[in-house]
Amino acid sequence: MKQRKLYRIFLIAGIVIAGFFLISGSFYTYWSVASPQKTCLSCHEINPSFNTWEASAHRDISCFECHGTALSNGLHSLKEKSGMVFTHMKTDVASENLRMTELQLLQTMERCKNCHESEFTNWKSGGHSAGYADIFLHETHNKTEQLNGDCLRCHGMFYEKTTADLVDPISQQGPWKLIEPEKTRQPVIPCMACHQIHAPGETVRQPDFANPNNIFYARNLTKNSVGFYSRHEKKHFQLEQLPRPDMVLFGDTVQTPADPVYRLCVQCHAPSVWHEVGTSDDHTPVGVHQGISCNACHEPHSNNQRNSCDKCHSDVSKNCRLDVRTMNTTYANPASSNDIHFVGCVNCHPDQKKKSN
Amino acid sequence: MTNSHVNAVVIGAGAGGGPVAKELATNGLSVVLFERGGWAKYDDHNDDELISQRTTVLGNAFGPHRDKHWRIFVDHRSGKETLVYPHEGAYNNNAACVGSGTVSYGAMAWRFMPQDFRMKTIYGHVEGSTLEDWPISYEDLEPYYEKAEWEIGVSGQDPQNPFVPERKKHLPMPPFEFNREGKMLYEAAQRRGWHPFPIPMLRNSIPYNGRPACYRMRTCVSFACPVNAKCGTHNTVIPVALASGNCELRINCQVAEIMMNDQGKATGIKYFDENGKGQIQTADLVVVSGSATETARLLLNSKSKLFPNGAGNNFDWVGRNLQGHAYTGAVGLFDRDLYDDVGPGACVAISDFNHGNDGIIGGGMMANEFFRLPYLFTNQRPPGSPSWGKDHKDFHRQNYKRVMSVKGPCQEIPNFEARITVDPKVKDYWGLPVGKLMGTRHPADRKVCEFVADRCEEWLIEAGAYRVWKEIGGGAGLSGGQHQAGTCRMGNDKQTSVTNKLGQLHEIENVFVADGSLMVTNGGFNPALTIMALGFYVGDQIVKLWKGTHLKL
Amino acid sequence: MNITRRKFIQSLSLASGSLLLFPACGGSQKSVWRFLTTEEAETIIALAEQIIPGDQDPGATDAGVINFIDKQLVGFYSNFQETYRNGIAALNQYCHEKFSQPFEKLEWNRQTEVLKLMEKNSIEGEYWKENPASRFFRMIRDHSMQGFYGSPRHGGNRDYVSYKMIRIDFPHIIGQNRYASRCETLNAFAK
Repeated sequence: MKQRKLYRIFLIAGIVIAGFFLISGSFYTYWSVASPQKTCLSCHEINPSFNTWEASAHRDISCFECHGTALSNGLHSLKEKSGMVFTHMKTDVASENLRMTELQLLQTMERCKNCHESEFTNWKSGGHSAGYADIFLHETHNKTEQLNGDCLRCHGMFYEKTTADLVDPISQQGPWKLIEPEKTRQPVIPCMACHQIHAPGETVRQPDFANPNNIFYARNLTKNSVGFYSRHEKKHFQLEQLPRPDMVLFGDTVQTPADPVYRLCVQCHAPSVWHEVGTSDDHTPVGVHQGISCNACHEPHSNNQRNSCDKCHSDVSKNCRLDVRTMNTTYANPASSNDIHFVGCVNCHPDQKKKSN
Repeated sequence: MTNSHVNAVVIGAGAGGGPVAKELATNGLSVVLFERGGWAKYDDHNDDELISQRTTVLGNAFGPHRDKHWRIFVDHRSGKETLVYPHEGAYNNNAACVGSGTVSYGAMAWRFMPQDFRMKTIYGHVEGSTLEDWPISYEDLEPYYEKAEWEIGVSGQDPQNPFVPERKKHLPMPPFEFNREGKMLYEAAQRRGWHPFPIPMLRNSIPYNGRPACYRMRTCVSFACPVNAKCGTHNTVIPVALASGNCELRINCQVAEIMMNDQGKATGIKYFDENGKGQIQTADLVVVSGSATETARLLLNSKSKLFPNGAGNNFDWVGRNLQGHAYTGAVGLFDRDLYDDVGPGACVAISDFNHGNDGIIGGGMMANEFFRLPYLFTNQRPPGSPSWGKDHKDFHRQNYKRVMSVKGPCQEIPNFEARITVDPKVKDYWGLPVGKLMGTRHPADRKVCEFVADRCEEWLIEAGAYRVWKEIGGGAGLSGGQHQAGTCRMGNDKQTSVTNKLGQLHEIENVFVADGSLMVTNGGFNPALTIMALGFYVGDQIVKLWKGTHLKL
Repeated sequence: MNITRRKFIQSLSLASGSLLLFPACGGSQKSVWRFLTTEEAETIIALAEQIIPGDQDPGATDAGVINFIDKQLVGFYSNFQETYRNGIAALNQYCHEKFSQPFEKLEWNRQTEVLKLMEKNSIEGEYWKENPASRFFRMIRDHSMQGFYGSPRHGGNRDYVSYKMIRIDFPHIIGQNRYASRCETLNAFAK
């Protein structure tokens, strides 16, 4: 009797457990396989994101490949999602105002490298992969510059709060610490600072081989996904939408690079309000390199520029017989007389200057 | 639960209340500073023109909220009463946040001239006006101007202005460089034999006081500063007061009334806390610094046995003589771009026409205008030209960068009937009678405005404008605005003023006023620095009277 | 049945999984707008386009002024709902009586004439006696201007078209007051 009872309990428990796994499992599988219109989008709030994704170069990648699923994002994500449902019931947030949190964004970013491994590695090896601690706890910087609310415009544009919520104290004395220690290693310039993943675009495809022109000259390489994320506007500006500043040098207009990527770089590597070349963090090239795109020398993700001189100058330049690779061309060293951004003819030809005088 | 007794309650954490709280707290008095709003920051509004302090069409970024605050405005022609909300012009709003207008202002840092304190002596009695001398002189206030300039922070360089009142100590920061239109106007004024100079500004031109230098955003006036380079009471004296350990700041609290005992002394205040719950805070003394409108309203709402018409109002002077500034000037069109995006715009001024103008009472400082953001600019057009359609769009497109405006705050002549009173029938969110604004400007204002507008026109023509039109202020309607002043006038005679020369109510010895309400006349300048100086002044008077547990009288 | 086990499990999970969706979240919408009806929106689009016409630069329609107005009518301007509804109805009634067409169907010049009448408060109609047409016109004009020249976060000024039109940099290009000394390199060149 007792055994049968036990057996029955086990059987029922087994059925319940199996049922649970079957239902949740089928739900999970369904979620992973079905079209987003039937799953993610059944919650109408993300309509705008769905629409942009559907017109984007990433349209063949399903939601969860980048955003993960409730399970793959860990338990905290389940709690977060149920919290979202609760908020949704309680308040009426306009769908255009729905955004990922910084944490969700960073988790999503980690999945970029599943496809873009080389870009990710390059980014990781360059200055733009700095973490919050690298920027906001930098002693030399904090002693000479005053931390303020606008730092986040270029370092930590996805941070939801203010500089005062991030670092303590906001003074030049220090010692400084991050109020939320988990931010230490989080990147301040994640992929999404310069890339709009849902930007309209074409999926990768081969050129039209029937038309030879199309294979070579007429092929249009678009950089739709490149754009600047404005912390103030909480949206991306595509390159073409970004302004091309009127730059001056000693009162004369400077020819800025025609490559629209310059407009992206100059948003943060910005001149002072007077738009004078070389002020504040501006690197607009003048002198012999005037008008040349940032990307002509800098690898876009690592920003590495080493040996890029070779692209235009052979190892020993025909013109000046100087090995440009051995010249001190960095802006970081104030002793450098050949800052590549400002180098002029007279730097290599001092004799010419004397003559003209 | 009752709050523990404190020495002083300061009502309103703005230009006046901040310095008072700091003076009292650093001199050992226990203080509770009340503010009806909260902390405001740039991230809350960003560069959004439509909710900024100058263009509140979609709400007030700095408060107050229209769900809780409203007033009655009485039309001077028809007598019709309208309910007005904070985002509407007739409400005459001041920012409701810690720092109040000093968070969102353009930050001009003017000292009034010695003549501004002796208007009646200089200009005589004016029919239909309550024009009067201040009971204190420029010299009395000078040390407190200096305190405001150094503790809150002012940049500028006075010696270029021959009309500048005498000062004992130079300003702590150098002036700002002129932008393109500033340079043009500077040269033009010099050609006319006037005396242009860089406007003194409550903005850091160099790193100062633990905050960085201004980097000249276009979104400055009517916005909070994104880098904290604008100096207000919220980032200077109030933090000092809080750091002293003697001052507690209670935000989002609406003060209801000053409690009075039968001996005619104040015992504290009643207020509603941030949850809307009624509370009591007892204190040895009460300082009211809620702006000309709200200070008067609070006194009028504080009815008691000895003061049935409101605290300190037995002679019916509370709420009277409401003044603002009759803004007047001219706008000029140029044939090339002037706009260089070097904010905030205003940078050059002249003070040649503040006084000594034939047949005119007073006058006003003149300066180039702050940048008009795109929506505000839709009202900037020559008279008679269309306000919509293709022509309007063409004008906007062609001239946004080619328009220059010179303006000045003309000193107004106070009159008894321009006033704030309370409406017992209309209650706000907390059930408190709302303020009711009524009256008109004095007709003499118009003459001052016409005179100043003519000078502005000359200045623009000299600078090269090919077309100029005047925008003359001082119409018959009630004045006030953010420069509101005068409703609790200080004076020596208790029958014709509300407070004595210390800012203390004539009739209630432990209630003080410390804001623009005290000002007998409003000067021909933006009043922020003078209100701050008055805050330091009143604070210092209280400290001098304070004897450990009570005021020595 | 010619079906693989894999397919069967998949379709089973699809069927059972879809039961767990939230039918309550769906919902049919009559108009694409939040407050306005499709017809009202068309009239306002025409009105706003008259106020800020498109030319070499986008006008009110392209800038999404209608989206601004509709969004504010369920937001900060919700107290204007009646004014809009009745005013648009009265305007279209006038246009029907005079020209047998709603406002948006009138020729451009005729639309302009009607607006000028409203601006001068001389349009005919019972409704306008109590509710001055000039006031209604000023409201629409101001709201259109706000939608065109204000920040896009309120629904208008699509792609910042008005900022581009008046040639102001947006986003603002402005650096901190840092590294001013780097100018010294440049100054050295000048000398």
